[in-house]
Amino acid sequence: MNSDKPDLPSEAELADMDRDELSRLGARLDGVEVVEAPDPWPVKGTRAEKRAERQIAFWFTLSALAGLAFVVIFIWWPSKYEPPRDEEFQAYYWYTPLLGLTLGLSILGLGIGVMSYTKKFLPHEIAVQERHDGGSNELDKATILAQLSETGERSGIARRSLIKRSAGAGAGVLGLGLGVFTLGAFVRNPHAQSEGPDGLWHTGWQNPPGSTEKVFLRRDTGRPGEVSLVRPEDLDAGAMETVFPFRESERGDEHKLLLALQRADNPVMLIRLRPDDARRVIKHQGQEDFNYGDFYAYTKICSHLGCPTSLYEQRTNRILCPCHQSQFNALEYAKPIFGPATRKLAQLPIDVDPETGYFYAKRDFIEAIGPAFWERA
Amino acid sequence: MIMKRLRSRSKLHRRVAGLLALAVALIGAGALYSLVLPAPQTAQANQPDSVAVQQGRQIYNTTCISCHGKNLEGVDGRGPSLVGIGEAAVYFQTETGRMPAVQQGAQMDEKPRVLTPDEIEKLMAFIQSQGGGPTMPEERGEELRGTDPARGGELFRLNCASCHNFTGRGGALSSGKFAPELDGSTEDEIYAAMLSGPESMPRFSERQLTPEEKKDIIAYVKSVTDGNNNPGGNPIGGLGPQSEGLIAFIVGMAALLGITLWIGAKH
Repeated sequence: MNSDKPDLPSEAELADMDRDELSRLGARLDGVEVVEAPDPWPVKGTRAEKRAERQIAFWFTLSALAGLAFVVIFIWWPSKYEPPRDEEFQAYYWYTPLLGLTLGLSILGLGIGVMSYTKKFLPHEIAVQERHDGGSNELDKATILAQLSETGERSGIARRSLIKRSAGAGAGVLGLGLGVFTLGAFVRNPHAQSEGPDGLWHTGWQNPPGSTEKVFLRRDTGRPGEVSLVRPEDLDAGAMETVFPFRESERGDEHKLLLALQRADNPVMLIRLRPDDARRVIKHQGQEDFNYGDFYAYTKICSHLGCPTSLYEQRTNRILCPCHQSQFNALEYAKPIFGPATRKLAQLPIDVDPETGYFYAKRDFIEAIGPAFWERA
Repeated sequence: MIMKRLRSRSKLHRRVAGLLALAVALIGAGALYSLVLPAPQTAQANQPDSVAVQQGRQIYNTTCISCHGKNLEGVDGRGPSLVGIGEAAVYFQTETGRMPAVQQGAQMDEKPRVLTPDEIEKLMAFIQSQGGGPTMPEERGEELRGTDPARGGELFRLNCASCHNFTGRGGALSSGKFAPELDGSTEDEIYAAMLSGPESMPRFSERQLTPEEKKDIIAYVKSVTDGNNNPGGNPIGGLGPQSEGLIAFIVGMAALLGITLWIGAKH
């Protein structure tokens, strides 16, 4: 390529060159030749040119106004929630859309202005750039190889084995660390806490080892710190209520009370069957005393993939899972009757505390809830 | 003798005082009783109501009896028993036009109201007199909207959203049944539905969801239905991220493509 390079000007010639010549020389040094660069407005001051100028100014002004409107709305527009019936609702309702509209318009106006300017006022130049063919020539190849090997030789790294080994150790350990970082999360012993509530076989209804506290059924009132326990008379026949575990030791502890509502394996559906239906119930072997009268408590976690199966049809006594349309029969130990689920919903053994009259769980589920895992096909 | 008169007078005194004390005690006890005893929750067949109840029975005999039986015991294969369903159930079923039904079916659809509001009132009084059941609250209309729609939203998502969708768009149930969308439902209808659990819907008694909680739920429903949760101009089905994401992707991509073409165009 060296042969293609234009002749370089001498210092005196360089000093004499004006801006146009310098610019052309720069392009030529990069192998670019500007063939033509016509002025888009050869006759100055035409009406068309002024119109184009005004159009671009319009976009920039629009951008400025919209940006100003955005600032004003962001600071002064009423942003506090108002219910629909109030007069202030319309103003609140438009807060977010207006923010988006004004900011969007501001950015769009700026972009359109800049693009229009380049289209309308920059010269529509035509340039030709040289391409070189094939690979580098033999001379370039030979010299670069020689330079690289000489640099390696001069650094003396081949002789300094201490440096080489310690550098290798550093890089190797770093690589190992990255590997552990990536794969470590996959290595976990799922059986480490098998007996406690955090194991796969148990849920939040299980007391931690060593504790024998009574676990009551608690409802979510929309206020996490509030404790509202469930009595049998709270539910009408044909009612379903989602309940969560509660221990007296948690009373007043906002954090624990909130966690109990959020824990994934906690939600249980407490269903009160209608008396006619309750007479037709078929119970699972070994779980005959898990219900309390017409009250049955099933886990809300689908045995298929763990969705909340809370579509309870009180006429047909079916429990539906909205994710994959599994259906369970509440009259027959919540066994699956339709859809991909193959296991019944686990039943929580419940009773009423004779002292307080509140429901409590006699113990945790006797089987694992939710989807299958290794030992549980 | 003076002594005797004095004594007899004091005897009279004592008697009068005793009687007075008794009267005061009785009146006091009565007043206390009426204060402490709560007002009866259900409007049983009182004297003034009995006219409404009788008229309600006539409406029942002409519109409901063929499916629900002479004594509300229900007719096998036609309609369930209405004993103990309460006036709330009557209000919901008749106000939304689901009852009287046109034909048998797994699910009764909403249709224009058949009975007049006056007839509905009387029918409610009659059914309520036959075995009681959940009653409508005293407040009506906008009074039933609570003050905490955020909490209502929490409760709605916990108790209602699994079937009705989190903004009340409705959803599918088993065997072709469905949970209706909540657009256009009045506050009274929503309250009555929660109380009475029509069709597939579970019932939510006043002890399970307190009146205050029910009103908060209504406030939430009212804030997301009837076009009130529609800042983009179109709810796109209200189904959440799927439809919204798809539209955003398609429309956004098309717009970006158009702008790119415009930027790349020569003039």
